[in-house]
Amino acid sequence: MPISEYDWSVARSSTTSDVFNAIADGHRREVLDALIAGEKAVGEIVNDLSMSQPQVSKHLRVLSEVGLVTCRAEGRRRLYRLEPARLRPLREWLAAYEQAWNARMDRVDDYLKELQQQGGGSDT
Amino acid sequence: MTPKRRAPARIEFPNDLEIVLTREFDAPIQLVFDVLTKPEHLRKTLAPYGEEVKTCSIDLRVGGDYHFVFVTDDGREMSFRGTFLEVEPPTRTVETWLFDGWPGVEAVETVELREAGGVTKLTHRLAFRDQAGRDHMTKYDGLEANYDNVEDLLRSLLDPKETVSG
Repeated sequence: MPISEYDWSVARSSTTSDVFNAIADGHRREVLDALIAGEKAVGEIVNDLSMSQPQVSKHLRVLSEVGLVTCRAEGRRRLYRLEPARLRPLREWLAAYEQAWNARMDRVDDYLKELQQQGGGSDT
Repeated sequence: MTPKRRAPARIEFPNDLEIVLTREFDAPIQLVFDVLTKPEHLRKTLAPYGEEVKTCSIDLRVGGDYHFVFVTDDGREMSFRGTFLEVEPPTRTVETWLFDGWPGVEAVETVELREAGGVTKLTHRLAFRDQAGRDHMTKYDGLEANYDNVEDLLRSLLDPKETVSG
């Protein structure tokens, strides 16, 4: 039982935290946004967004590194596509984090009740 | 048994990736604040599942540091540390949040308390930032991006109940 409770800390370094970092940036979410409609080449993403090509390429590289975006060659073009399934570790992390946080708040709740019963309410 | 007043995690994406959790307690605000910030109380509630608390130091002032360590049943040390950025008893603290198990991930935690009718509501925010993102944020200052679509997508992916249709 205690092991699964801390999945959120184990499943971290190479997967979850990187995905976290990758989408923590608003501009990278914009790049992801541009890919929702389907595969695109860098030039098309640049046209869609108010970002320079080097910036878009930089973001695509980060997104590719964590697997949120994959790339395939079609002739001389490189097409990028979204891999939404990669967000799954994030969802799992979140669920476990929420569970641990709520468990802690349950303890706070119990402890507050205990203190209030002891103190009778008006102790200084 | 008293019903648990709890709220599910909510994720927001204004600029940083933000996780918001709320909880209500049948206790006055000052007591809740003390329980969350005084070491003698914190020690008893710090570890979510009652694990052994190894370190519990807290210097509650702007610029002061905190460091919490508890040990899981299988011997792993869970270590959290940070520095207070804002301290406004009994309503608000803002602190950096660094988890030793997650190197390179930096978050800012905001804890806000509000009391109404004998019930104190706690709002806990954990905002994850990206260093590179923040660095070039200044370059794009004033650029108003519309994240609605990707927000919807991320939300639906994070919520297993919803499905994304392609």
